[in-house]
Amino acid sequence: MVDELLTVSTLIGILHSCVRLATPYLFAALGETFGQRSGVLNLGVDGIMLMGAFFAFYVVFEGHSLWVGVLAAIVIGVLMGLLKAFVSVTMQSLQGISGIGLYLFGLGLSSLLFKTLIGSVEGVSGFRQLPIPLLSEIPGIGHILFNHNALVYLAYLMVPVSWFVINRTTLGLKIRAVGHNPEAADTLGVSVSGVRYTTLMIGGALAAVGGASLSIGLQNVFQENMTNGLGFIAVALVYFGSWRTVGVLGGALLFSLVNALQLWVQALDIPVPSEIAVMMPYIMTIVVLAFTARQIQKPAALARSYERGE
Amino acid sequence: MLRRVISTWLIILLLLAGCGGSDEDAEGEAVGGEGEPFRIAIVMPSSTTDIAWSQSMFDSLMAVQAEMGGESALKLAYSEGMFRVTDASAAIRDYASEGYDLVIAHGAQYGNSVFEIASDFTDTSFAWGTSSDTGAERGFENVFAYGAVANEGGYVNGVVAAMLSKNDVIGVIGPVAGDAKLYIDGFVRGVKDVKPEAQVNISYTGSFSDTTLAAEAAHVHIQAGADVLTGSAQQVVGAIGVANENNVAWLGTQSDQISLGPDVVVTNQIYNWANVVVDMIGKIEAGELGGTAYRLTFENDGLRLEFNENIEIDDEVKEAARAAIEDIKSGAVDPVLPEDE
Amino acid sequence: MATGLRGIEDSIVYGIARPTGGHRAVNFRLNAPFVQMYGIVKRFPGVVACDHVDFDVRRGELHALLGENGAGKSTLMRILYGLYQAEEGRILRDGAEVEIHSPTDAIRQGIGMIHQHFMLVDTLTVTENVALGLKSSREPLLDLDRVEVGIRELSEAYGLQIDPRAPVWTLSVGERQRVEIMKALYRGANMLILDEPTAVLTPQEVEELFVTLGYMKENGYSLVLISHKLQEILAISDRITVLREGRLVGTVPTEEMSREELARMMVGRDVLLERSRDDEIDVGEVRLRLDDVRARDVTGQPALQGVSLSVQAGEILGVAGISGNGQRELAEVIAGLRPMSGGSVELDGTPITDWTTARRTELGLAYIPEERMHDGVVRDFAVSENLVLQEHTSEPFSNGIFLAFDYIAQFSRQLIQDFYIRTPDIRTMTRNLSGGNIQRLILARELSRRPKVLVAAQPTRGIDIGAIEYIYQQLLEQRDTGMATLLISEDLDELLALCDRIAVIYEGMIMDILDRNETTAEELGLLMAGVGLQKQ
Repeated sequence: MVDELLTVSTLIGILHSCVRLATPYLFAALGETFGQRSGVLNLGVDGIMLMGAFFAFYVVFEGHSLWVGVLAAIVIGVLMGLLKAFVSVTMQSLQGISGIGLYLFGLGLSSLLFKTLIGSVEGVSGFRQLPIPLLSEIPGIGHILFNHNALVYLAYLMVPVSWFVINRTTLGLKIRAVGHNPEAADTLGVSVSGVRYTTLMIGGALAAVGGASLSIGLQNVFQENMTNGLGFIAVALVYFGSWRTVGVLGGALLFSLVNALQLWVQALDIPVPSEIAVMMPYIMTIVVLAFTARQIQKPAALARSYERGE
Repeated sequence: MLRRVISTWLIILLLLAGCGGSDEDAEGEAVGGEGEPFRIAIVMPSSTTDIAWSQSMFDSLMAVQAEMGGESALKLAYSEGMFRVTDASAAIRDYASEGYDLVIAHGAQYGNSVFEIASDFTDTSFAWGTSSDTGAERGFENVFAYGAVANEGGYVNGVVAAMLSKNDVIGVIGPVAGDAKLYIDGFVRGVKDVKPEAQVNISYTGSFSDTTLAAEAAHVHIQAGADVLTGSAQQVVGAIGVANENNVAWLGTQSDQISLGPDVVVTNQIYNWANVVVDMIGKIEAGELGGTAYRLTFENDGLRLEFNENIEIDDEVKEAARAAIEDIKSGAVDPVLPEDE
Repeated sequence: MATGLRGIEDSIVYGIARPTGGHRAVNFRLNAPFVQMYGIVKRFPGVVACDHVDFDVRRGELHALLGENGAGKSTLMRILYGLYQAEEGRILRDGAEVEIHSPTDAIRQGIGMIHQHFMLVDTLTVTENVALGLKSSREPLLDLDRVEVGIRELSEAYGLQIDPRAPVWTLSVGERQRVEIMKALYRGANMLILDEPTAVLTPQEVEELFVTLGYMKENGYSLVLISHKLQEILAISDRITVLREGRLVGTVPTEEMSREELARMMVGRDVLLERSRDDEIDVGEVRLRLDDVRARDVTGQPALQGVSLSVQAGEILGVAGISGNGQRELAEVIAGLRPMSGGSVELDGTPITDWTTARRTELGLAYIPEERMHDGVVRDFAVSENLVLQEHTSEPFSNGIFLAFDYIAQFSRQLIQDFYIRTPDIRTMTRNLSGGNIQRLILARELSRRPKVLVAAQPTRGIDIGAIEYIYQQLLEQRDTGMATLLISEDLDELLALCDRIAVIYEGMIMDILDRNETTAEELGLLMAGVGLQKQ
């Protein structure tokens, strides 16, 4: 039975699944990385994803193009990010609790709008598989990496883009400084609030596109609470990846790999109790977190409001 | 100081907005005049639009309401998304104390709560399912139980799946292992009775609501060669989306899922609770507050198998399905797995 | 060279105000006033921090700002740097009135500030810290290579040795200070405010800093040095402005001043810093005895390796040593805050090795901890609460259940008066007090119990001269009444002035115990460095 798992075609299938499954996690976790690097913990990611998923779906459902749907998600994501920023940065509420508030807000509002505007679960025609010419022809790798829909490619493109913004731009330098020592940044004329508003809006936009990747990319439906807590896993992945984009990529891939593996193990009828198979990703997450608990990269000012002091 | 006050209110507002969507009365006030309407309240684990378990009951209730003459005859209240049993328990108690004639707890996980509350409100009638336990042996007189004999429809879907499959590989997406067992067992039996050599791959996502994983499970089954898929619980919306995209046949259960995959959903086993509800209303009005355990079967029209009218289906397949239903009704087939499986 | 030759405004955008370039000489006239502040008023709840203060700095001048803690010198400079807003008063730069609302405004006016607590982002490199907040030449991309070139040029010109690529967390305190100076220079500052810059430096680093400041002065920079160290101010400043309790006492040319005159201006009366060397030592029985005490530090390494010493009634025993040789562990072991791995401690003849801190206190042990903000007081408690911290459960402060508020208030007021604790009220949060006043508070609390033995760890570190004088006076008075004192200090002058005998600790061992009349700073210094180990 285990031999079956080790055939080339199965391995390719598992890796293909893994690459695709990581998409929403990548969007959301990269967005969260921006916020956390600047010192803001946003637990409302899941709520933003739901709003993004809904608006992208609704726009497409109403007959607009898929990219207009993505744009709608970005706009709503930015607005949700602004709301989080207003509550956490301007009003300086506790970041944890206001994030949960944002999550419930997104969950409730997306459900309400869904009931009011659509009413029943419907399907749309979402992003299609878009094999990249030539590259997708490469045996094995081609199918694993270059035979996905456009949003999947976009998610992976966001990894180097996020890395570049954080490490190679003046904005990135400000983000890193504000997340670690907001007072020092302030004395150099860096607007701590401005930077945090910016990162939360970027984070909101990415999370919302992550939601859209579900509703008009991977599943092409909208259902209430369709993210099913995926945004919270994304927050955990940021810790997991110790606040580095490459770490986040690794975490998302590892988590997705174990998920893909368990689906394949079950589908191929390999004699592992399905309860164990289902637990695999979570067990692995806990184990890895336990071993990566001590991190020097953690933004020192994470989850702390900044007020110019005496 | 002012900032603290404002931010506290903001958080409260956010929380209220968050909860707002899930707990509401169906609109409209009871119309006075020609007698009080019958009042039913229902608490369900997922949403009224889950195209699965919760929606099947909600649609049935709406049908009964329309049949009886609308709001003035039957007043409905519902709480959806009560996946936490403690929340559901509070809602059930609230409805009971508000004097509803019938409180439906639409989930097997609510059993303990139902009996606890039923003993406090002996004049109120309760119903819960999936279950066959009315508590009559323990002296309860105000509890109904209900359930669907889902293996009947599972068997018929299995027969259809076996006939549609060209690769002889069929994928099943279950929620939590053990749940939906009846449906899946019936399905496997149906497949095997037609094509003993066909392979049925079953995978569980470990969740009722993880649409992302269900969608990926569909991808996996397709890549593993499956050309017919089925699955249960509200998570399957993601899987149907994938089936649709890959043009792979989907066999639905619980609620009508054709809208999601107009070109790929071939059949639907639909749970029709209307007769059960109507019967309960009659009994309650006659003073009988509980004690009956209902079962949805093809025989009593609680289960229906509907074909998608919009796609071409071989008559041979339709005929086989009808024959299977008749066999089940007559008792010629008992759609359970053989003992040794 | 390409990066440099621009105007001041331009240089804020990623250029460097070039120290050696020609353009600077053109637009500055030595001794012309650069910044003038007139009638500055700033109030905080309960205090007037600055009360109509005038102040000016000239180009090419090193101007010292002197005053005790709480005199208003930091507040005045924070106003100039835009961190606080003055309620009244005017600020002129080059004779023209300017508004400074934020550090950004100050930087634009060519004013930079080196804070006492460095404003650096540890995880970033030196170059990144310098570039932070500046417009890049390749906006929105960073251009760190260009900044690095600029840093190297400035390093060379002013003798500021730093590796531009080193992450800040790897740097020593002195190097971090250089990064701070570099940040200001790179931003084209014409003026630098240094808040207590030498407090954290080793003597060698102080030398290097002064050399750098000298170069800067020659190049027309205006420098303001906030300090209370009379010696160094007299050594390097051109003029001195003294503040006391928020008011201007006067601005004087340095060459006309002596140490005594400055101390008088600062404190408002004559200050006695030296103890007369001929007083009689009248010692009694042994109050504190340590025998072969061993203990480990927080990392589990042996920190005390068999310390034996005894302190008699009416005696101050000093413990000299370079920081980190077991002093902290020694104090904590005696106070009962750190478990011993061997040896014994006796207090007044009673073995207390396994006693809790509370029981030791009851028996007459008092402790002034090194980390006064952490271990000495509860920062978020009121002054009065901190004053009765140990005794609040016993008579007459409470009846065992309820606190006797009236008595506590009366008691607190008395201590505040006796020990000159400067606080608006007994209910003021302790965190709002200056370092010197917190030390006075701790001293008041500990000494009011009439202890038999006092362990004081670095009691004068970071404290202004008025408070130091007062602490010295209290220690000597208590000694005369028969208290046994163990004074742990890194300041040899202090030990030589106060102690009767001095023990030198090195790597957790006592090198020697010397009579202060028979030793010199040089001999102690050698012992502190571990020389003489061979003798044993």
